[in-house]
Amino acid sequence: MRQAAAALFGAGFTVAACYASGALVIDQLRATLRRDERIPLAFVLGAACLHLAIFAILALRIAYWPVLVALLAGTILAALGTGAWRGVRTTSGKPVAPLGKKLRAVFGTISGIFAIVYLVNAWAPEVSPDGAAYHLAGVARELRFHGFEPNPTLYAMLSQGVEMLFVPAFAIGRHSAAALVHFAFTVALALAILAYGRRIGKPWAGAAGALLTFASPIVGASGSSAYVDLATAAIVFAVFYWTEVWDEDRNEHKDDQRGLRLLIPVGLLAGYAYAAKYTAFPIAIYALGFVAWRSRRLRPVSESLRPVLVVAGCALIMAGPWIARNWIWYQNPLAPFANWVFRNPYQHIIFEQDYSEWLRSYGMPSLRPLALEATVRGGYVGGIIGPVFLLTPLALAALRFRSGRRLLLAGALMFPTYFANIGARFLIPCLPFFSLALGLAFGEAAPLLAAIMIFHAVASWPPILNHYVNQGCWRLVRFPYKAALRITPPEEFLRENSYGYGMTRLIENKVPAGEPVLTMTGIPDSYTTHEILVGFQSARSQALAETVNMGWSEFLQPTAGRVFQFPERIARRMRVVQTAQAPYPEQWNVHELRFYYRGKELARRLEWRLRAWPNPWEVQLAFDNSLATRWRSGEVARPGMYLDVDFGREESVDEVRLVTSSDFEHIRLQLEAMNPSNPAGEWEKIADNPRQVSLAVPPGIRRLATYEIHARGVHYLMIRDTDYGAGDFRGDPEAWGLKLIGRDQEAALYQTIW
Amino acid sequence: MKHTLGLVCAAVLIEVSCQNTPEPFAPPVQRPPLEDFRPYRISTIVDMSNEEAQTHFVQDFTSIAAPNWRWTGLRPTVRVRVSSAENLRYTIDFAIAEATFQVTGPVTVSFLVNDQMLDRALYNHPGNQHFEKAVPAGWVTAGQDATVAAEVDKAGATAADGTKLGMILVRIGLAQ
Repeated sequence: MRQAAAALFGAGFTVAACYASGALVIDQLRATLRRDERIPLAFVLGAACLHLAIFAILALRIAYWPVLVALLAGTILAALGTGAWRGVRTTSGKPVAPLGKKLRAVFGTISGIFAIVYLVNAWAPEVSPDGAAYHLAGVARELRFHGFEPNPTLYAMLSQGVEMLFVPAFAIGRHSAAALVHFAFTVALALAILAYGRRIGKPWAGAAGALLTFASPIVGASGSSAYVDLATAAIVFAVFYWTEVWDEDRNEHKDDQRGLRLLIPVGLLAGYAYAAKYTAFPIAIYALGFVAWRSRRLRPVSESLRPVLVVAGCALIMAGPWIARNWIWYQNPLAPFANWVFRNPYQHIIFEQDYSEWLRSYGMPSLRPLALEATVRGGYVGGIIGPVFLLTPLALAALRFRSGRRLLLAGALMFPTYFANIGARFLIPCLPFFSLALGLAFGEAAPLLAAIMIFHAVASWPPILNHYVNQGCWRLVRFPYKAALRITPPEEFLRENSYGYGMTRLIENKVPAGEPVLTMTGIPDSYTTHEILVGFQSARSQALAETVNMGWSEFLQPTAGRVFQFPERIARRMRVVQTAQAPYPEQWNVHELRFYYRGKELARRLEWRLRAWPNPWEVQLAFDNSLATRWRSGEVARPGMYLDVDFGREESVDEVRLVTSSDFEHIRLQLEAMNPSNPAGEWEKIADNPRQVSLAVPPGIRRLATYEIHARGVHYLMIRDTDYGAGDFRGDPEAWGLKLIGRDQEAALYQTIW
Repeated sequence: MKHTLGLVCAAVLIEVSCQNTPEPFAPPVQRPPLEDFRPYRISTIVDMSNEEAQTHFVQDFTSIAAPNWRWTGLRPTVRVRVSSAENLRYTIDFAIAEATFQVTGPVTVSFLVNDQMLDRALYNHPGNQHFEKAVPAGWVTAGQDATVAAEVDKAGATAADGTKLGMILVRIGLAQ
């Protein structure tokens, strides 16, 4: 019960601080807002400001419990002390008609019931796949280190704007507190949509928009977990909302200075949208475009640019720290993307391609049924937004209203990024716009809108969902009130409902403190204090996983040789160049590159200098005398790639051998040397078409593989029973140089015995 | 002017992005050839720190133990099974206690595999000892149990249950 109370307190404290922070800013801006719109807008705006303060605390590495509590408490006290909490210094917006009885009955009842279901799920121990894994693993790690610590893995490279708010919540109330903070965003979004409908004089449209979004099955699943989708959607919608507030205020007061102040939240939130989730960046384009368009008639021209610069500058304040962090730490401001532009040692370009390719299809044979998949089935795309959204084309009827045109424009700008990741969650930032537009499309036809809301609620109700969605569709399936109140012990609930939780317990119990663990697939690593190296999440992990897999996968093993033989040459530098364009996803791989003279290998002296292009950072893997490691191009093989050795002095060479594997076939190689007498330092072709030879699989390849991971400081390996090669490990751990030190129902934990 | 600015911007972008090339590397530490690899195969080395060690005990182990070692009698013997009988090495880490050494003086320890004497060594001083020697082919059969033992010729003390104390054993078994 104490844990339940701590979770609620941690979340409530954080949410209150967000609201307080936003209220203080709104107070300074003298923004005119009604109370019903002030609450959600202040919360979201405050979240942006608080995120920046927590970022600073983590950057300064002072993220201790008292510091975080002081920040939250100080913000709340400041808001209470100045009266900003109640908005005493701001005037209330134009009064609007109260919500009708019928509307309140339909909207209040349905949204209330759904809110209780979401609240209970958020309050229960966190079992969501990404929430218990990377969203909170990063937060837990930052709290362990009391600040930021470079972690060049796929998910840690993403901006963590919303996770910053999870930091104080988690410090107080652990996982559930973070999920409850996200739930608060879900509620705030619904309230903001409802308030917007009232603002434009269409309360039924607003209620319909709010409910269509709020009751959407994927919103329920994500919004009650420690995810960031609903927070992102709330931020995106808040950007739109503030542009409307600015525009209306500007029309009313004809005061540009006052108008400029109201652009501050627009800019801050536009930048915060990027900080929350990269795919939300189009809302910044909308904001900049909208402000530029509405300011186009200002004279002189510099006056028309000022509003745009205010928005852009404020956006940079929020997004800038994340861009800078990635540039400084990972040599890539857009990490983990754009690695082909900002080359770095932390992510392979081919992985980005592979992963992006997967996110664009989720394994769907064709995207033609995507609309049905995202609205009704949900098996491939991990959830549904609900069948009612099949009516979305009707939203075009909202074009007859000015607000409808703006909503559809913002939605249309947000929508294309969905195709970069077709997971149903990635539609959530568009939902408020399309939901509202759909509501507007039907005018204020109350019976029709009420019917749509009721239909959507029934179709989204968890027991009903079970009748029509695909089995693999992510949705709420429980009402875990006993777990929420901790009547059911969290350990018991997690073991029953969290895939992989048992593995984290095994690691905690068996692996000494500070030892990393290599796994092939992700686990809910927020429940362990160990560094979990997931086999695909970074260049380092990929190299480790590939080394392990070399033990059992014949395609990766060093079974192919390429031999260049030529008349004796004296050279200071030699390189092997790849000259063919290979099809995706074929890379160029080299386990070992050796140079010979009269049958004797040239010893690799410390004076040698090794270069490779691309992926220069891993060139040593082709020169370490280990057949269990290999250099890879890290991208599709194309002409001009090379491995280059500067011998540091003139050497006689008459043979060059490459040890490689059989997982590529389009590679064409050419040997070049730099003639010492050539002052221009030009490369001269020595030979091409090397002789191909077959090599026997080294008998101890498995042990070689584990030796390599051991030598790199990884002494523990978690293999799921469903991982490729799991049977090989299980069959003869000794042959791998491994010792089985623990098992749970779905995985085995091994220790290297080198 | 605009063109110049554009060129400068392009140059900066190229400089900070595409040209991110590290300095050339020296060759790394060279791995030993495969044939020289001699990993300990843990299930054939009985380590006293291992919770399952007792399942390998055959005789002469006392209950006097710490997390990493255990007092033995005069002829501690363990049972192990190897999946391959090639290139086996008898391996033992043990200690001769100062207190018993003062009583016994130099001791001779015999090293046995399947009751066959592999070697014998005289220890003239107390402290930690390591012994390792190749096991002749044919002494051990793959897939069958083998006994690995060490025999001390003198006892320096007696445990409360009357067991004569021989050595402090850390690990014993067959390595490959």
